[in-house]
Amino acid sequence: MNKEAIFELITQHACTVIPRLEGHRFESTDSLRGLGANSLDRSEIVMMTLESLTLDIPLSETFRAENIGELAALLHAKSAVSQTASC
Amino acid sequence: MQTVGIEAMNVYAGTACVDVEKLAMHRGLDMTRFSNLLMKQKTVALPYEDPITFGVNAAKPLIDALSAEEKDRIEVVITCTESAFDFGKSMSTYFHKLLGLNRNCRLFELKNACYSGVAGLQTAITFIVSRVSPGAKVLLIATDISRFMTVEGGEGLTEDWSFFEPSSGAGAVAALISEVPHIFQVDVGASGYYGYEVMDTCRPAPDKEAGDADLSLLSYLDCCEKAFLEYQKRVEGADLSTTFSYLAMHTPFGGMVKGAHRNIMRKIAKASTKAIEADFDERVRPSLTYCQRVGNIMGASTLMAIASAIDHGSFDTSKRIGCFSYGSGCCSEFFSGVAGQEGQARLREQRIGEQLDRRYEMSMEEYDELLATSNVVKFGTRNAVLDSSFVPAARTVHGKEILFLKEIKEFHREYEWV
Repeated sequence: MNKEAIFELITQHACTVIPRLEGHRFESTDSLRGLGANSLDRSEIVMMTLESLTLDIPLSETFRAENIGELAALLHAKSAVSQTASC
Repeated sequence: MQTVGIEAMNVYAGTACVDVEKLAMHRGLDMTRFSNLLMKQKTVALPYEDPITFGVNAAKPLIDALSAEEKDRIEVVITCTESAFDFGKSMSTYFHKLLGLNRNCRLFELKNACYSGVAGLQTAITFIVSRVSPGAKVLLIATDISRFMTVEGGEGLTEDWSFFEPSSGAGAVAALISEVPHIFQVDVGASGYYGYEVMDTCRPAPDKEAGDADLSLLSYLDCCEKAFLEYQKRVEGADLSTTFSYLAMHTPFGGMVKGAHRNIMRKIAKASTKAIEADFDERVRPSLTYCQRVGNIMGASTLMAIASAIDHGSFDTSKRIGCFSYGSGCCSEFFSGVAGQEGQARLREQRIGEQLDRRYEMSMEEYDELLATSNVVKFGTRNAVLDSSFVPAARTVHGKEILFLKEIKEFHREYEWV
């Protein structure tokens, strides 16, 4: 899955967790915190995204991402590593 | 195998509280997402209350119920805390004096943030199971208070910190650990522990807490999963969905437990969203009742969750409780034990819920005044006389003798029964 598709996944899950975000035009520089998601919301969005990607990494490895674009890039890099590792 | 566990137990959550929703509004926090935090009230420590008063008031009913011979068999007093006011002298020494215990006794203090209570419990269990002193009892006192000002957001610290104030409480859990586990019989050896170094939250300077709330939550979630997987490796046939009738977890705030429960139920039990909701209501909610009314009592939190589960669950037959503790820094453990009808009846004699009902609810003005005056007992206070006229209504709420801090004289703390 490419970075853009992962970005879409994150925004979909964000809308599930915070329904008022439906219809919001997400930018890669948007931060989940800035959009009104608290710590619990953010952890849930990340958990749901990892599940969609069947990516099993510690949640704490995702905390450095400052915005949705960085999070998508981080997950993309991690999923590439896990695919390589399984060969 | 030797039976071992909690013979008697009590929670003491002070004399004053605030409504957390009112506090959050007073602080101008974003209330739209507040309800998912599952917080109601928190205990507030008044200046004449400290970890010793909380601990003694929790332990006194347990000690008073013992015969002189039984009391003499208390051979270890373990304090579990992150709220110490001395780097060398353990609070166990004060507990020993104030409860009038036998001097042939080990006295020491344990630390690893919110994991300390379970660290103490497992230490006590190992002592009993070793049978180096058959018939001996351990008095375990987990006691923590919040009385600090947040460090302003700087590099590595986050503004999200502000929602930690509404969740930070004060309280103590006292437990007698012995061969006669009337309340909670621990499954010996059934433990999955998981720890590593992470800088999530800490208390690096006097009266200050620092850290990253996001990282702490994520670390808690990771550890909950990993600790359970280790438990499952050690306990043949252990099944997250069916082995435990209740789950009791370290509760910084209810929402965090809900998130952790959802994570492990999805990843490990592969449960559907609907099943997870129902499971949370049935197996987890009973353990949250006290935590939602007292707030995060750190090292004592998991023990309070266990007490809440036993008080509020249904124990017509003996049932197994799965327990999880997490302490920042970090260390975590998933373990289990069994409680029954007799244990519930004995625990209910402490009337913990009624005690919480009696607390004086402070107004926001009184609460702000408290924050301004709390520095009278700041860390390192050499001499102070405590003002008993501050929130005087709180001092008599329980209708029985309660220990309060009277004076600090050359760093030594002196107490009075009121």
